[in-house]
Amino acid sequence: MINEERVILMTRLASYEANEGKKDISVLNYFRNDFIGFQVLKSVIAATISFLALFAVYIFYNFEELMQEVYKMDLFAFGKNVVVLYLCTVGAYGVISYVLYASRYSKAKKSLRHYYASLKKLAGMNDK
Amino acid sequence: MTTLLVAKQYIKNFIGRYEVYIKPLMKLVLALAALMMINGKIGYMHRLDSISIVLIVALMCSFMPVNFIIVAAAAFTVLHMYALSIECAAVALVLFLVMFLLYFRFSPKDALVVLLTPISFALKIPYAIPLSMGLLGTPASGISVGCGVMAGYLVNYVADNATAFSGMDTEEVATKFRLIIDGFLGNKEMLLTIGAFAVTIIVVYVIRRMSVDHAWTIAIVTGALTDVMALLVGDLMFDINVSIVGIIIGSIFSVLIAKVVEFFAFHVDYSRAEKVQFEDDEYYYYVKAVPKITVATPSKTVKRINTAKKKYSGGQARKQ
Repeated sequence: MINEERVILMTRLASYEANEGKKDISVLNYFRNDFIGFQVLKSVIAATISFLALFAVYIFYNFEELMQEVYKMDLFAFGKNVVVLYLCTVGAYGVISYVLYASRYSKAKKSLRHYYASLKKLAGMNDK
Repeated sequence: MTTLLVAKQYIKNFIGRYEVYIKPLMKLVLALAALMMINGKIGYMHRLDSISIVLIVALMCSFMPVNFIIVAAAAFTVLHMYALSIECAAVALVLFLVMFLLYFRFSPKDALVVLLTPISFALKIPYAIPLSMGLLGTPASGISVGCGVMAGYLVNYVADNATAFSGMDTEEVATKFRLIIDGFLGNKEMLLTIGAFAVTIIVVYVIRRMSVDHAWTIAIVTGALTDVMALLVGDLMFDINVSIVGIIIGSIFSVLIAKVVEFFAFHVDYSRAEKVQFEDDEYYYYVKAVPKITVATPSKTVKRINTAKKKYSGGQARKQ
């Protein structure tokens, strides 16, 4: 006999698994620090690529002046400024993504807790 | 209103039943519209500017995730600009790269706005976007809308100055590059639009979350007024010649569109019919879970009877 209550519960669980649960489960496959660390690393790489692209635009934009002044200017100071700017950008972006992904992880954990509770209930039904 | 609610119920049922077909169809239409607009505006690469290519890419978009449309549109834009001049393509590429890498990593759901904003500009109803995003999104949507505005203005700028760019010598790379960046970033109208839209989104968002009656309607009207005011003040401050009549007419249309958005989003009970599969020790289950239909239809019938009765009982009431 098909147990209706069980089917309803299983349907809810399957629907969660197929939709938002998919993401939550993939998030919680990692330990908290691993997940956040990995995401922050990805953010740092993304920020580095963006910074390089924007820096290239800046160089092209000021190409003529830079070429004229390249022998006069203090290249070391210029490089230092660029590195400081890079570190600030990447640092700020990293912090933002840390906060964001930390909150995402805790949200996923919360909703997955409900899911596990329902699973337990389902297991209890099966035992009967 | 009741007729509208019933109509909404029908639409909801229809979408619930045929969602499998409607979703790809919508994606196809959106991709077609976007790609054809790009081709119409900056169709410099002749190979891409053919309906068969557009159709093939749009068909591909229809069964890929929604964000693929944005990638396709961005690729089309960059390739067309490449055919015009490599510097334009470089600027567009950097803009899209930074957008995708820095922002849409966080909120891929918002990414569609980047596509919808330029489309709404082309349809002359750009003000609908900040109103709708204020209703549906969060203040962070302001960034997505800003990205969309930038993309739209870049395409417009390149289209307007195409002859100048193609006429310049190939040796003048740095000058050309400078011209593009200056023209693009120095466009005060664009900066003003981004600012006004951001303010509008925040205003709409804050008001619609207040616990007052008709918060959404108040939010829409206030948002539209804020938008108009911000644009007009900016117009005076920076001395840009924006068309005031255009803003006002566009805003009125946008309010109407936002009302439609509100109608579909606020009376939310649109939850999709879902098909799930699972198994236990004894059975395989193929379940279709359909959300229960709400009471919109019966409430309509009740109201009708009352109004009809009132008409007849009007005389009696007067006697009493």
